[in-house]
Amino acid sequence: MGPWRLGGPVLAAALALVLTADRAAACPRPQGWTGGAELAGELWTAWWRPEPAPIPVSAHFSIRFHLCGPPVDRVRVSGWMPDHRHGMNYRPAVSLNGLSGTAEGLLFHMPGRWRLILDVRGAAGREKLTAETVLE
Amino acid sequence: MTPRRSGAPVVARLAAGLAGFAIAFGMVSGMAAPALDFTAGEKRRILRHGPWPPALAPNPSNRVSGKPAAIAFGRALFFDPRLSVSGTVSCASCHRPDRAWTDGLPRSRGHRTVDRNALSLFNLRFNRWFGWDGAQDTLWAQNLRPLLDPREMGVGPGGAAQLVRSDRELSCGYRRAFGAAPGADDERVFVDLGKALAAFLETQVTGRTLFDEFRDALALGDAAGMARYPAAARRGLALFIGRGNCAFCHFGPAFTNGEFADAGVPHFIEPGRVDSGRLGGIRKLRRSPYTLLGSFNDDAQRSTAAKTRHVRLRQSNFGEFRVPGLRNVALTAPYMHAGSLGTLADVVRHYSTLDEERLHAGGERILRRLDLGAREQADLVAFLETLTEKKPLHEATMKSGNAMCR
Repeated sequence: MGPWRLGGPVLAAALALVLTADRAAACPRPQGWTGGAELAGELWTAWWRPEPAPIPVSAHFSIRFHLCGPPVDRVRVSGWMPDHRHGMNYRPAVSLNGLSGTAEGLLFHMPGRWRLILDVRGAAGREKLTAETVLE
Repeated sequence: MTPRRSGAPVVARLAAGLAGFAIAFGMVSGMAAPALDFTAGEKRRILRHGPWPPALAPNPSNRVSGKPAAIAFGRALFFDPRLSVSGTVSCASCHRPDRAWTDGLPRSRGHRTVDRNALSLFNLRFNRWFGWDGAQDTLWAQNLRPLLDPREMGVGPGGAAQLVRSDRELSCGYRRAFGAAPGADDERVFVDLGKALAAFLETQVTGRTLFDEFRDALALGDAAGMARYPAAARRGLALFIGRGNCAFCHFGPAFTNGEFADAGVPHFIEPGRVDSGRLGGIRKLRRSPYTLLGSFNDDAQRSTAAKTRHVRLRQSNFGEFRVPGLRNVALTAPYMHAGSLGTLADVVRHYSTLDEERLHAGGERILRRLDLGAREQADLVAFLETLTEKKPLHEATMKSGNAMCR
């Protein structure tokens, strides 16, 4: 086996690590946050956290988020239960201030696997950032 | 967050093994049995159905919530037939205390027969929405609905306010509850009657049940306490939280997630007329002046109004009806929004043989035909019966009488 065959995957892995490190460095955890999770996309990376945490079943909650990337025109937040093929019974309202925002009025109305979706739009394009969580 | 585990097959095998043991030793189905080893995930799912009763707090949208004078006034209003336009129908006509606050009819009858079954009045204070279609977002607004509907009581704001102003005892009750005599604004007085009725109905919280004793014993690791729970109920519980998928909707201490679902029962009220359920409920809510977003909300901060502000109308709401709480369920037959199922056994059979083609699910995949065997169906019924308190609260209500202005 020649060096290129062996080196290709290794180089790719190293490059991925560098890119991940760059992205993380480019999108640090927002100041003052002790928790939260990161969602990495091609155009944007988001930090988000629910309030209250953890997300309760069948009770309203909100999320705060901070995006890193190009300017944003609009963010929509929604939820989806992939196993049941339904979304939420409530439409959250998003207030956006630059790259930071809050979505109020979310409610995951049953236990199980939920997908949180941040649908981000800007001049650079549109991207859906998703996170999955299992509520008990 | 912990990934969800499904241990139901294990439990089913264990339950079957225990049942075999019971039969082999001549034990009858339903008697207490040794504690079943639930998995850690199953324990978590069982524990979330308690503790009971939950902590109680006044409702901020109702300034007389929890006030004894308002509770006494509301109780008097509840049993007073003069709050109907004919003077013959009271709230208690359809919500009878001796029938667990229902009337036992498939579809209730005030002045005329209505389209839906009378819901029991237990545990209303924990609801997010009210009525089968959730057209009201507070208990006080829900209490106004039959007073406005001519098929039920139909007295309306003018008639109700005039009655309270002119009757010495009701006027006294109003003054004690609200701190002032009824004013000249009919609608304000009318809404206040809904709030006094709500204060009374908030007191109707179900007591502890055999299930609660088991659940708390499980929480404490009390094997002797767990063993007192009947074996059939325990098998039914395993089905309820497992293969039956019941707990997706019948979630939490009140056994409801507070939302709406299409349960696959007919939507036709009569040939050519359908009940649109939640779809119509949200539309009514948006037209109503009596909501948390309106001027009758006593909470200036609108601290409980998020649901009303954010509720979403979708075509899939058609044919959805309230997911009712299951506490005291054995007392509230017949079941479903139009009373189409007469017994708990009928309800369990309905889900077991569900016609999935009948669902207006819009692609949703929650309800599935369960194909339960006869013993599994009996076990689920046995479990549901343990959600019913031994000595229902309505007896205490009847004895407490009406000491409003004496």
